[in-house]
Amino acid sequence: MLKKFLTVRAILTFGLICSLIFAIYSMYYKVALWGLSFNPSQKANVWTIEAHISFQPTGEPIKVSIAKPTISDDFKILDENIVAKKYSTIKDGKNNRIILSAKNMSGEQNLYYQLLLFDNEQNSGKTAASAPAKPKKPILDEQTELNMQQLISLAQEMAGDAPQKIIRFVNQDTPDASVVALLPMKKSPQELLDTIQNALSIQGIPNRRARGIKLEESKKSFTPDYMLEAYVDGQWKLYDINTGKKGKPENFVLYQRGGISLIDVEGGENSSIQFSVMKSITSTTKLASKRAALNNQENSFNNSIFNLPILEQNTIKWLTIFPLAILVIVLMRNVVGIQTMGTFTPMLLSMALVKTGFWPGLICFTIIVTLGLLIRALMSKFNLLLVPRISAVVIFVILMMQALTLLGFRFSLDIALSAVFFPIIIMAWIIERASITWEEDGAKNACREVINSLIVAIITYFIVSNDYIRHIMYVFNELNIVILFIVMLLGTYTGYRLTELRRFAPIIKENK
Amino acid sequence: MWQAIKEFCSRPRRLKESGILGMNCRNYAVISACNKRSLYPLVDDKVQTKLLANKIGITTPGLIGVIEHQYDVKNFLEYVKNYSEFVIKPAHGSGGKGVMIIKSYTQDAFTTPSGKQLTFNDIYQHISNILSGLYSLGGKYDVAVIEELVHFSNIFEKYSYQGIPDVRVIVYKGYPAMAMTRLSTAESGGRANLHQGAIGVGLDIQTGNSLRAVQHNVPVSIHPDTKEDLLSIKVPLWREHLEIASKAYEMTDLGYLGADIVLDRDKGPMMLELNARPGLAIQIANGRGLAGVIEKIEKTYPKNLSWKERVDFVLNAH
Ligand SMILES: Nc1ncnc2c1ncn2[C@@H]1O[C@H](COP(=O)(O)OP(=O)(O)O)[C@@H](O)[C@H]1O
Ligand SMILES: [Mg+2]
Repeated sequence: MLKKFLTVRAILTFGLICSLIFAIYSMYYKVALWGLSFNPSQKANVWTIEAHISFQPTGEPIKVSIAKPTISDDFKILDENIVAKKYSTIKDGKNNRIILSAKNMSGEQNLYYQLLLFDNEQNSGKTAASAPAKPKKPILDEQTELNMQQLISLAQEMAGDAPQKIIRFVNQDTPDASVVALLPMKKSPQELLDTIQNALSIQGIPNRRARGIKLEESKKSFTPDYMLEAYVDGQWKLYDINTGKKGKPENFVLYQRGGISLIDVEGGENSSIQFSVMKSITSTTKLASKRAALNNQENSFNNSIFNLPILEQNTIKWLTIFPLAILVIVLMRNVVGIQTMGTFTPMLLSMALVKTGFWPGLICFTIIVTLGLLIRALMSKFNLLLVPRISAVVIFVILMMQALTLLGFRFSLDIALSAVFFPIIIMAWIIERASITWEEDGAKNACREVINSLIVAIITYFIVSNDYIRHIMYVFNELNIVILFIVMLLGTYTGYRLTELRRFAPIIKENK
Repeated sequence: MWQAIKEFCSRPRRLKESGILGMNCRNYAVISACNKRSLYPLVDDKVQTKLLANKIGITTPGLIGVIEHQYDVKNFLEYVKNYSEFVIKPAHGSGGKGVMIIKSYTQDAFTTPSGKQLTFNDIYQHISNILSGLYSLGGKYDVAVIEELVHFSNIFEKYSYQGIPDVRVIVYKGYPAMAMTRLSTAESGGRANLHQGAIGVGLDIQTGNSLRAVQHNVPVSIHPDTKEDLLSIKVPLWREHLEIASKAYEMTDLGYLGADIVLDRDKGPMMLELNARPGLAIQIANGRGLAGVIEKIEKTYPKNLSWKERVDFVLNAH
């Protein structure tokens, strides 16, 4: 007997462990690759970056070449849009540029290039890469070369790694003579970056410039910020060219790497490019398909519940909390030891409460059961047979629900309106059971039965109606399998129920 | 406060030490291990139990008839025409529900032991209710059993308010393991259900003498209604009681069962019914745990004894 029972438990435990591993693995996938979140109110930010290109045509054929941004890993392109009327568009995949061309245009030209980006939640700012070639020594005149050498040797006093030393040195509040000689007092970011890059190239440190955009809500008319990327310790690292701060600033999109121009305009003059940023918000589940596709997870995503039509998704959302409710009730009955009217009565009650809301549901339930018991008491005088009698109770419950709904509508009482959400058969069954218990075991036992069931239903309700729990049970629906094994394992639980500790207490006392 | 928490937390351990059988353990490790499901109908159906019992030589209240169909209900007087008293009960009932005892009757007036008068129509309704499944588990259609009235030995009379006490013996693998008698009280409405306030009296399995009595899980020593000393009960013909219990194992093959035995003043102990899932309250009435007894039987009692040898073994065990 003991042997058989151990192996059943062992098999179930093994199943539980397997299902747990599977659940963790699949949850990892959903979080890391599909971008789903444990938090129901977690929103994904979608950024719209708009490049506005304007120029005056000179009359010759116009050719505008825009660099397609090389967006870093931490942001992904959701969509891309070009607004350029009468222009023909060619995507030059090799050079990663978009070429817009037109003829015979007059007046100021305004072209827009829009990019929708979303957060990919892999903040790093460092990219591992194979070692690039040593940079060419810049060709500098003798004086500049001398100043450079001095700058480099003096910069060694500064803190940080090599690029940081240079950046910090050139950005000192009271600049050194060598810096003053190389850079004007009011230096532009390009000039600053040129000097830093030269200094790094002389030291043989691979470097390149990077441009990027700090994503902030509603930012208009700005040009992308310059940053420095240097190859240090086998990785490309980003540096702020003013402070030397390492790593990618928060909410920063790297837009472009290396020295290529952002935009070239032929057949136009006075060209300018202005950027603006806008933030919009969507839910993580909406972006999941895009993210999954980017991570080559399209297939598994298409087979998941998130690819279903909304209606079916909502049904599944509803279904996936049932196993949890069942688990709670099994715990209540077999571990705590509360006697309820059947197993599923409290579960269905708690689900009804989820639909109606707590107080309206509770009040409605009380009204229906009380009236139902009264009617049932009257009916017991007729001595009807069981099946017709319970059928009559069902019809009474339906009538009451109709009456409550009508009343609720007439007097705009939301409470009464929730009556329709209660499962009719369950209500009739509760009334029938309670009235039989009432007749045979007295009012006290009948009330106890109903109240026990209600308490269990309420506890289940509070667990099941929690937004977090519902969201997690739905998004990570593999947890249902874990619950299945927990429930089965509980089927082998042979310990005392909590209520038995009280029930059998008199025996302990005696044996002391 | 702290002391109380500590005391409470140590209870599982101490219950275990006292050998108390919990509900989960009973269901999982005892019932599902010892009782084959396919055998349940033998004990859940009182007609089958009765027939089987008679075959194996266990006395039960004589069967007068079985009403199976609604059209037959109106003929119930036909069935009882040779009897001056009878009992009607559902074949699949439990907890005493639907048991109707008629002490005397004429064509249209029926008297119950408490003196209540019933009409032909009342009885007709009652049988109809039984047939429609009102008292059976899960509301399944049922049949009505009409049987002879047991004339309870008046030895017990003073110990019970209205209802008639029966002796419940728990039988494990054929060995009588624990026994109690349930005495109805005014509070329990003359019924022998402990949760309704009946008194449970633990009986020494070797002698049939009372060990202790509890009402609502609390020890009591005198009957609240009849004021009799509950600790002086001695069940007569104890060996015969145990023999019935022991034979019930041969009869049903159930490793764990409860036998309800009543004492008829003329015919001696009779088996009223068997139960494949007897409750655990008997432990409280006895002040000791079943798990301990079961373990002892499992480990030290010989197997393959006849019913008679098992009774001898129990009576002589230490
Ligand atoms: N033949 C009978 N004669 C007298 N009393 C009876 C008889 N049958 C049942 N009773 C009474 O009804 C109670 C319940 O009957 P029982 O057969 O045990 O049905 P249940 O399965 O509902 O417990 C018994 O404890 C006894 O008091
Ligand atoms: Mg009984």
